[in-house]
Amino acid sequence: MNLRFLGLEVRRAVRNGRYLILAVALPAVMFLLFVNLCGGAGQTFPNGLPVVTSLMMNMALFGVMSGPLSTGARIAVERGSGWQRQLRLTPLTGAGYVVTKGVLGMLVALPAIVLVSAVGVGEGVRLGVGQWAAVLLALWPAAVPFVLVGVVIGLVATPDGMQALTAGASMLLGLLGGIWIPSDVAPDWLRSVMEVLPTYWAKQLAQAPLVPDAPVAHALLVLGAWVLVLGLVAARRFRAGRV
Amino acid sequence: MTQATAVRAGAAVALRGLHKAFGEVRAVDGVDLVISPGEVVALLGPNGAGKSTTVDVLLGLTEPDRGEVSVFGRTPRQAVVEGAVGAVLQSGSLLDDATVGLVAALHRAPLPVAEVLAQAGIADLAGRRCTGLSGGQEQRLRFALALVPRPDLLVLDEPTVAVDVETRRRFWQAMRAYTEAGRTVLFATHYLEEAQDYADRVVLMRSGRVVADGSVAQVGATVSGRTIKAVVPGFDGRALPGARSAGTRGDVLHLVCDDSDAALRALLAAYPAAHDVEVTALGLEDAFLALTGEGR
Repeated sequence: MNLRFLGLEVRRAVRNGRYLILAVALPAVMFLLFVNLCGGAGQTFPNGLPVVTSLMMNMALFGVMSGPLSTGARIAVERGSGWQRQLRLTPLTGAGYVVTKGVLGMLVALPAIVLVSAVGVGEGVRLGVGQWAAVLLALWPAAVPFVLVGVVIGLVATPDGMQALTAGASMLLGLLGGIWIPSDVAPDWLRSVMEVLPTYWAKQLAQAPLVPDAPVAHALLVLGAWVLVLGLVAARRFRAGRV
Repeated sequence: MTQATAVRAGAAVALRGLHKAFGEVRAVDGVDLVISPGEVVALLGPNGAGKSTTVDVLLGLTEPDRGEVSVFGRTPRQAVVEGAVGAVLQSGSLLDDATVGLVAALHRAPLPVAEVLAQAGIADLAGRRCTGLSGGQEQRLRFALALVPRPDLLVLDEPTVAVDVETRRRFWQAMRAYTEAGRTVLFATHYLEEAQDYADRVVLMRSGRVVADGSVAQVGATVSGRTIKAVVPGFDGRALPGARSAGTRGDVLHLVCDDSDAALRALLAAYPAAHDVEVTALGLEDAFLALTGEGR
């Protein structure tokens, strides 16, 4: 792994206004809007989780999802333009390129987690130090499946189709995955869809330190399956087309 | 070791029996080419002659179907990894936020960015985004990217296509400065003047094959003879001794001759009124047309 290259890629991502707005600022803004406009402050879900804490996790997951998705999908643009040909005239290997993009995806997921959590503290989320650590440690690795979805889109899509695929993926993973509709109030059919998607299980993992009887093993199993399948698809696509 | 293999071992570029097909189209159909270190070679040919495919193969961007490729005795990929090759690619745009630094970070012993920009003549562009660069500036930025690994071999795929005359001239000045240090250059082009003015050697391609290879003078001489152009009122189309072919446009007669002296004597004897006579040697352009024109 070329750390200087990764650093410059991080700088490129951070300087990208759309990333900053969509993946860093928007989750925090949405969190504030939900808490202050839609009420719910002071209430708790049946499982004992305060609504504001649950919202905080959902919006952090929104950032964890959208940052890596858009970063991975950028691969499609760099494939479509001549940039990758340019990179192939350097010692960087194709695998090195994809791995760099993956690590970049993990890094761009972090700011949203931190910012939303900070807003959460301001909005009255009270957790013990151990609980905070557990929540944050669950949220960040939850980015892995989304990073892989982004990479797969980047390897499959054309630069034109990339936008539509990314939008579709965030719709599917977000709306049907329980980011915008809490699973506790979702109708049964929606719940059964949710329980297939990684977003739902990432949430289960994040709230595990705070609720009794959390299905941690089940969550790890489903997330692991997603990572495995997406990883295989990415590897296949990578070998089929040359990056 | 035979002499031929010794030459290949020391060569900057050695292609042998190179074949590459895309579906039914045989883009490269048996190319042999050896380029010695320090040569400046123009790869000349019409569109679809196989120039870009040949370039892609020797940069390791395309795998050949058959044949051997070596660059400084190594595989193309090894040569790229070691920074021995730099290239200005024809297709594709640069990213809006791509930087020379980004490419420099990947190379093992890159030239400092400031020096790269100075050599490419775009020191004033340091720190600017690629959006809003003029065609000439973008083209020099591509040249800068090619210089980053301090390459011994520069490969340029139609480097001056779609840029204006002044930019083209300045580009070749920068190139000249670079090649004075003894570097090897291979450039694909369909501008004859560029080949004539800047190359030591011209390799002419057509339909995936090399049809002529030598100095500009040698390739020009493959089509022997001279042309006569004259205003000849009342030319009756008769055959003239020494002339291969004749054509008229209004009163202007064009003759392509094997023996221009004989043709000129016969012409002036038969048409005392002929005037504005010009006799010229067939040049690279005629060779180009004769050797690359389909169906000739």
